Amino acid sequence: MSDDFLFRLREDPRPEFAGRLDERLHEIDARERERRLLAPAPPRRLLPVLAGALAVAALAFAFTLDPVRAAAREFLDLFRVKRFAAVPVDPQRLARLAQGGLDLKSLVGEQVQVVVPPQPPEAVASPEAAAAEAGITVRLPAVLPPRTELVETKLSRAAAFRVQIDTGKLEALAEAAGADEISIPAFWNGATIDVDVPPVVAVRYARPIDAAEGRPPHDDGYLLLQSAVPQVELPQGFDLATLGRLGLRLAGMSAEEALSFSRAIDWRTTLLVPVPIQGGTFREVEVAGHRGLLVIVALPRDASADASGPRPRSRAMLLWSTDDGVFALQGPATNGGAGLLEMAESVR
Amino acid sequence: MGGVRLLEWLVPAVPVEAVDWDAVYREELARVFNYFRYRGFERATAEDLTSTTFEKAWRARERYRKDRAAVSTWLVAIARNVAIDHLRRPRREVPLEDAKARDEATPETMALHEAQLHRLRGLLAALPERERELLALKFGAGETNRAIATITGLSESNVGTILHRTVGALRDRWDEGERP
Repeated sequence: MSDDFLFRLREDPRPEFAGRLDERLHEIDARERERRLLAPAPPRRLLPVLAGALAVAALAFAFTLDPVRAAAREFLDLFRVKRFAAVPVDPQRLARLAQGGLDLKSLVGEQVQVVVPPQPPEAVASPEAAAAEAGITVRLPAVLPPRTELVETKLSRAAAFRVQIDTGKLEALAEAAGADEISIPAFWNGATIDVDVPPVVAVRYARPIDAAEGRPPHDDGYLLLQSAVPQVELPQGFDLATLGRLGLRLAGMSAEEALSFSRAIDWRTTLLVPVPIQGGTFREVEVAGHRGLLVIVALPRDASADASGPRPRSRAMLLWSTDDGVFALQGPATNGGAGLLEMAESVR
Repeated sequence: MGGVRLLEWLVPAVPVEAVDWDAVYREELARVFNYFRYRGFERATAEDLTSTTFEKAWRARERYRKDRAAVSTWLVAIARNVAIDHLRRPRREVPLEDAKARDEATPETMALHEAQLHRLRGLLAALPERERELLALKFGAGETNRAIATITGLSESNVGTILHRTVGALRDRWDEGERP
């Protein structure tokens, strides 16, 4: 039985309507970005920063290169995480740039192509099972905070991205940042960087009583993330320092500060960790003979909470790398993170 | 990698999922719009409801789970709720036949066998709400019977049966009108 006649009512939306709606949807994005960046101190304002740092562990942590693909392309440089460096970031600076018409999403985001989409972390039976799935040796802390126990193991599977350099857009970024001292090499245009994110294993420790009380177990818990050592091969002549300085300028550093910072670090071995200029502190530490970075962020009091309630707590993130893995440990910043350090020291 | 890391934290919106929402908008706009048209809304109302649907979806897109439903099905499910909300609001809804003269007076639609379209809209308008809903999902939004079953809560076989019966009845009425 033919139902062709029923398709005769189909019609295309008017182009002017489609165009207006498209604009409105992107205005939603712009407003949302501004809202997030301009929010003075919402209760979880800094959690995304921790989450962002976690993303360092969970996503950008681990960049490996398929050796076959590497052989097929002419890559000469190699980036491999050996240490971490904190970068003070002024979120309002980015908000002001956005208000000034800087559309970072289109300038940068469109250059990132998702090759293998990341999947939500999935629960696995045990760290051993996660290790088998991830193909790494999972290391666990021998020292646990009082009354905590392993409550959850999750595995984030591999993902892959491709970043294509567009010098025109980078120049637009430099202009927006007022970074006219930075020159974008023309030969970068069209170069691609393949970012392969290997599996990340997350083990969570918490007090079992938390669940009984109905609180999220991670609220006061500890989360240990680990992955293979991130690395990525770069196109010939690709100068990370130039790109890095551009990022630093966008983040709010002066030209002199960005240059000084840029000269002080080895861009081929250093992973940057953003720390908000307000409410965040950081310091370099040593974890079992390896250099690490401890970031402490004070969680602002919930605006809806009783002012006489408990004082705001702090959360800490400890990042370090070894010869065969990269680790991030998140937990309460008790005693300036001393407990976290002790726990990290026992990871083996 | 320092450089990539910089890009990522400077741009929180850097996509971390496979869905290209701009492409979704381009590909799904007509389906959502036609869903509302087949539901019997005049063009202006269909555009308003389409806008509402996409704005809701846009704001909620981080919560979209592709393992649960195709993005087109997810969108049409939102559209269906938008239509339900709209119909619940007290107002004067212009019947299709009455709206036609004001609504369709564009050169494009005038060229598309105006009389036939008018008659077809009339046939659809005369259908019970459930049947019209299923036809809108099937022919307006272009959904499969399985997706329609997911959206409406009906069984897939039930969807197929109702659509078969409804299309058959419409076909008969349509053919009657075509005879000289």
